[in-house]
Amino acid sequence: MSSPATAPPAVRTSGLTRRFGAVLAVDGVDLTVERGAVFGLLGPDGAGKSTLLRLLATVLRPSAGEAQVFGHSTEREAQEITGRIGYMSQRFAMYPDLTVAENLDFFATVRGVPKTQRATRATALLEGMGLGEFRGRQARHLSGGMKQKLMLATTLMHEPDLLLLDEPTTGVDPVSRREFWRVLAGLHRAGTTVLVATPYMDEAERCTSIAFLDGGRIRQTGTPAEVAALVPGTLVEVVCPDPRAAVAALADLPEAGSPHVLGDVVRVLWRGPAADAEGALAAHLAAAGMPSAQVRAARVDMETAFAVLAEAGR
Amino acid sequence: MSPTLTRIGAVARKEFIHVRRDPRLLAVVLVMPIMQLLLFAYAISFDVRNLPTLVVDLDHTPDSTAYVRAYEASGLFEVTSRADSLAAVDGAFDRNEARVAVVVPAGFARSLARGEAAEVGILLDGSEPNSARIAQTYAAALNQLESRQIAVTWAATQGIDLTQSGSVEPRLRTWYNPERASSIFLVPGLMVVVIMIVTAQQTAVTLVREREQGTAEQLLVSPLRRVELMVGKLTPWVLMAFLDLVVIAVLGLFLFHIPLRGSVLALGIGAALFVASCLGIGLIVSAVAPSLDTANMAAFLVAFLPAFLLSGFAFALDQVPAVIEWISRVFPARYMVTISRGVFLKGAGLDQLWPEVAALAAYALVTLVLAARLNGRRA
Amino acid sequence: MNLRHIRLLVWKEFLQLRRDPLLLRLLFLMPIVQLVGFGYVVAVDVRNLPTAVVDLDRTAVSRRLEATFTASGYFAVVARPDNEAQLQPLLDAGGAKIALVIPEGTQDRLDRGEVAPVGIVVDGSDSQIASVGSGYAAQAIARFNADRMQALAGTVSAPTVDARTRVMFNPTLDPINTMIPGLIATILMISLMAIMSQAVVRERESGTLEQMFVTPIRPGEYLVGKVAPYALLATAQLSVVAVVGMLWFKVPFNGSLWVVVVGLGLFMLVSVGLGLLVSLVSRTRQQAQQALVFLMIPTMVLSGFIFPIESMPEWIQPLTYAVPLRYALVVLRGAFVKGSGFEPLAPQLWIMAGFAVVIFGAAVVATRRRITE
Repeated sequence: MSSPATAPPAVRTSGLTRRFGAVLAVDGVDLTVERGAVFGLLGPDGAGKSTLLRLLATVLRPSAGEAQVFGHSTEREAQEITGRIGYMSQRFAMYPDLTVAENLDFFATVRGVPKTQRATRATALLEGMGLGEFRGRQARHLSGGMKQKLMLATTLMHEPDLLLLDEPTTGVDPVSRREFWRVLAGLHRAGTTVLVATPYMDEAERCTSIAFLDGGRIRQTGTPAEVAALVPGTLVEVVCPDPRAAVAALADLPEAGSPHVLGDVVRVLWRGPAADAEGALAAHLAAAGMPSAQVRAARVDMETAFAVLAEAGR
Repeated sequence: MSPTLTRIGAVARKEFIHVRRDPRLLAVVLVMPIMQLLLFAYAISFDVRNLPTLVVDLDHTPDSTAYVRAYEASGLFEVTSRADSLAAVDGAFDRNEARVAVVVPAGFARSLARGEAAEVGILLDGSEPNSARIAQTYAAALNQLESRQIAVTWAATQGIDLTQSGSVEPRLRTWYNPERASSIFLVPGLMVVVIMIVTAQQTAVTLVREREQGTAEQLLVSPLRRVELMVGKLTPWVLMAFLDLVVIAVLGLFLFHIPLRGSVLALGIGAALFVASCLGIGLIVSAVAPSLDTANMAAFLVAFLPAFLLSGFAFALDQVPAVIEWISRVFPARYMVTISRGVFLKGAGLDQLWPEVAALAAYALVTLVLAARLNGRRA
Repeated sequence: MNLRHIRLLVWKEFLQLRRDPLLLRLLFLMPIVQLVGFGYVVAVDVRNLPTAVVDLDRTAVSRRLEATFTASGYFAVVARPDNEAQLQPLLDAGGAKIALVIPEGTQDRLDRGEVAPVGIVVDGSDSQIASVGSGYAAQAIARFNADRMQALAGTVSAPTVDARTRVMFNPTLDPINTMIPGLIATILMISLMAIMSQAVVRERESGTLEQMFVTPIRPGEYLVGKVAPYALLATAQLSVVAVVGMLWFKVPFNGSLWVVVVGLGLFMLVSVGLGLLVSLVSRTRQQAQQALVFLMIPTMVLSGFIFPIESMPEWIQPLTYAVPLRYALVVLRGAFVKGSGFEPLAPQLWIMAGFAVVIFGAAVVATRRRITE
């Protein structure tokens, strides 16, 4: 018997493993996602994010280990889970020859949404995502962004407690992406747990917790701030007319770790004492013939954190 | 309404929308059976008639003319050309201008007048074996008749009454199909072929398509049970198969005047079980076929070809090697053809047809259970 | 035309085929299945028909009559019901397909020199058996009558007509000998049409068709590169059929190989053209499949492959001229069975050439236009 205080977390896995032939896609993953979290799954291609999500969605069975969603085993008690979760796959998985409205209605009916509520919820969701005028259009004639929105809407029709989203905004224009996250934020406020795999680091910033997945294993997990703090050193930005030359010049400065060009600035992970960074860099660059270089502090964003930690892990 | 029924209803409704949005599919399922019916009923015949015949009469006597006329008078041979030399026969056969050549050599009448045996050559083009065999048989019979006539007439002039030997005269009675209309023979079986194609092929394709579209996964993440999915998916196809059945039956009855002599109940039960069996086959194919192409080809191999070749619909199975006969028992089409023909032509009812009905029931049960097991297993 | 491009395309096509082993296996399984099916089922001889004999006369004459029937080899007596009423269930159940009913008093009538009617009951629900069976029955009866008359005439020699029937070409009248050549042509057509249309449509579906044309590859090279591997495959398939047909079923080949090569070559062009045309009007592989089935059934029926054209009603026969397979069948059967050379088959070959030019030409032009649009 579990009291509200010890209600099982949305997701808990222990030693979760999945093999495809010789390939170990998910390798002994121990993960806990608290209720109400917006949990980001980050990692390179082939890291196992999709497989992990599918294991949690009860679509795949584990080769070893266990996964529990809201306290129910995905293997043995799938039917307890499927009505409470929504899963959005990476590829478009709607019926291409059915209209937006028909797709929504079908999946809602199949997931047990009562008839009286189907129409109202559908309208609300479509309007909310800007798909209202496309209700009568066949799904195959939608653009990439609209397709993703349709899938999300379909996943939300039955008001699931847990959302499993596999790279939901890939190929979507920035405006639509913002709208998408606005919807997710609204769901978060309403208490829905969201587990989202994303390659976009800026989206990782918006999560309450994140985890890095690489080679089927979890490398780091924590809140974005905690993960950022794991990065050794201070992140510094150098603005100068010739970023490439600057990177070359900094190659022989030992405290200037992994200098690289990002856009039109150079970023350096300063390994020495933080206070010395500005002065030492400016001096070094001036000596190399770039007196006009400006140095300023930068926040460790997830992009850098990911790159640095992934490299460190190798 | 119970949640199961609601879900099944949703799937069935969706399937109907798919069909509605795919005009070609509708054409295949509704138009093609009718087209096949018309083709088979009108075009196909095993009856041999009007075989183009070449007559080479080298005798030019009243006797030879009378002999040749016997062939002309039969409905089987149609004298389309006459020639004056044997060499013409080769050319006529080579160019497919004639299938039969009747060669009456010079001296025909003289031999007869002397009371001897006169030789006549009947040459047949064996490249159409069915016609050739029938032509051979009839020519022999015709010849016997003519021969007898000649003998009797001659004997009379000699004062001998050869008719004393009496003669046996065949009284031919054709049961079930007195006009020997091929359509009567073919149409009841055609229904079976059409249903098999529509149900087995389409069901095979429909589930594979869900997999390929990715929606199968979405359906897994829902309370939908595999049985509900299957029932919902099959409903439109069952209805369309029955629609086809009714249309063909109606056309057959009123356009082709096929009799309906037996128990409609037996036909209905048999049809229902047959449809269920075909659906089962289609579902099994869809569960094991990795891709749409393979599903199509497998359905063709397992549904269309056996229905066409091994059901007894157009080609009798009595004379087939034992191995093939056993293989034909594996497919349900054969039992349904027996039931269909039995009910339409032979006036049969459940008393006579219960073995076939039982076979179909067993078949339906086995395939549906197997299909349910194989489909929708999580990876 | 750049040979290197073509070689590349052919290699790519084979690579794709190799990655789909089930498809390959099915492709080679199909002809075998069709061979067995058409060889053993369609091409069946009517012999040993299950026969029922109702002998109400029970005399030496009636027994002799029955013996004449069974001596022919076409009838196998499986039942001797005591009366006609028992015939009904027997024929209903299909236990017997034909019945000989010898009424009481037959011997008496014959001895008095009268006509003795004898009943031949035939199961008409299988019209092939019905027509052939009744023919054999008529023949047997005629033989019986002739024997009787001969016995009576005794030493007196009466004139008779001795009809020597000779079957030219296919003397055994084995249907398989015409089935196999027919099957070769049919398999070629079906394989080529199906695979061509599927292959082109698959590229369109997966979008690689577009990719193809931002490369230096020209439409003509693309077509040749697409067609060649499947033409090779089809040739392999029909070689299998031909070899199995000739070795296993002992189908004779009397004619000129050149005729076959030319005929099949022309027919190949026609089939490929048809496949391309199908692919033009199909957006998905499913649609191509459906279009194919639509075309295939009338073609099989009206071409004379299984059902003889001469048995078709008058008004249908003109339709058969529009079916290319019809001509291919004449050519192949002519070459295999009749040993015909180019001369007698010239009309068919010319017509096929005409079809090839029109269909293949139209297909190429249309595909090119579609591709370069």
